[in-house]
Amino acid sequence: MNDRIERLKSDAAELNVGKGAGRDGLYQSLGAVAMAAGVVLAFVAYQLSLGKDDSRDIQSLQILALAMLALSIAGAAVFVRYSLARFLRFWLLRQLYEGQAHIDQVVEAIAGRAAGGVADGATGPAGTAGTGEREVGSTGELV
Amino acid sequence: MSLNGDEPVAGRHIATEAPPLELVGVRAAYAGIEVLHGIHLAVPEGEVVALLGANGAGKSTAVKVAAGLLRPTAGSVRVAGHDVTGVASHELARIGVCTIPEGRGIFPNLTVREHLWMATQATDRDLAVLEEAAYARFPRLGDRRGQLAGTLSGGEQQMLAMARALVTDPAVLLLDELSMGLAPIVVQQLYEIVAQVAAEGISILVVEQFAQAVLGIADRAAIMVNGEIARVGTPAELQSELSSAYLGG
Repeated sequence: MNDRIERLKSDAAELNVGKGAGRDGLYQSLGAVAMAAGVVLAFVAYQLSLGKDDSRDIQSLQILALAMLALSIAGAAVFVRYSLARFLRFWLLRQLYEGQAHIDQVVEAIAGRAAGGVADGATGPAGTAGTGEREVGSTGELV
Repeated sequence: MSLNGDEPVAGRHIATEAPPLELVGVRAAYAGIEVLHGIHLAVPEGEVVALLGANGAGKSTAVKVAAGLLRPTAGSVRVAGHDVTGVASHELARIGVCTIPEGRGIFPNLTVREHLWMATQATDRDLAVLEEAAYARFPRLGDRRGQLAGTLSGGEQQMLAMARALVTDPAVLLLDELSMGLAPIVVQQLYEIVAQVAAEGISILVVEQFAQAVLGIADRAAIMVNGEIARVGTPAELQSELSSAYLGG
């Protein structure tokens, strides 16, 4: 067994099996539950405070209502963060697919013009844009 | 170790060692419809295993499961003997199970060099070293290092996808439909490179609809029919059974 396989074996042993794939969905669900429960509990605590005569009870219940509102806001933030992560992955894939399709169309059009004997079109702006070059520095940074 | 759960694997692989990649009784479904019906497949160290079959046989789904892109409904995916079922694809890529998807998955608006630069983010190796290795293996990419990937030919795009995968130092390489949309001569050149890569000790699972393209370099092949592995053997053993697998005879 070569060194790479030995490394693969040790890396595979260290993986957190079962935690990766479902984690986003779990956090998203927890966020939604916290958001909904926070709103409901805040409303209940506030309503209860209205029926109290002792100012200490009123204050305690209103503090509890504010804490539940804070929980709701935190839950909303968690929900949005993990919903967005999922959405952005699909968005990136779609961008990738559309970019590929667009470039294919441009290349096809350039090839078509070149084949049709339109010399200016083949070497003009469209052709330049299609094969535009960028440089990467010797240390790896994009220039 | 076996490819289909029953049959011992001959050749370079030592039967007592866990293979770098193994699918054990894997079942998978899309929207409740099962498309893999309990497949067993092992990719031994340094070997090329070809997964063949007609369109819709379940080949690409098997690769998706192996790559962590699709969670199996039953069975397990094992990497070097460890159960990695359910591990995310990026985690598998990080440890060395690298996938080149159908359609190559390149970024059309990045240059060749930028693709390699991007791959360096997954390693601690220097870009210049990785570039040198990539261009030594694929000289045509060296000539086009500043060119946008979307403007490369299909064969060059496939080379770029392979180069990007190889600079991450993979232990297992999953190739899905490498020949798609390419001229036969280009496919032949690419498979020669695949054979060189396997000779360096990297285990390779190739999914291919056009069997003849890959059988020349494969150590073992498995034929899939309707979500099941119908036959496993050496390319020579399977030649006579390929037509029935594709034509349903």
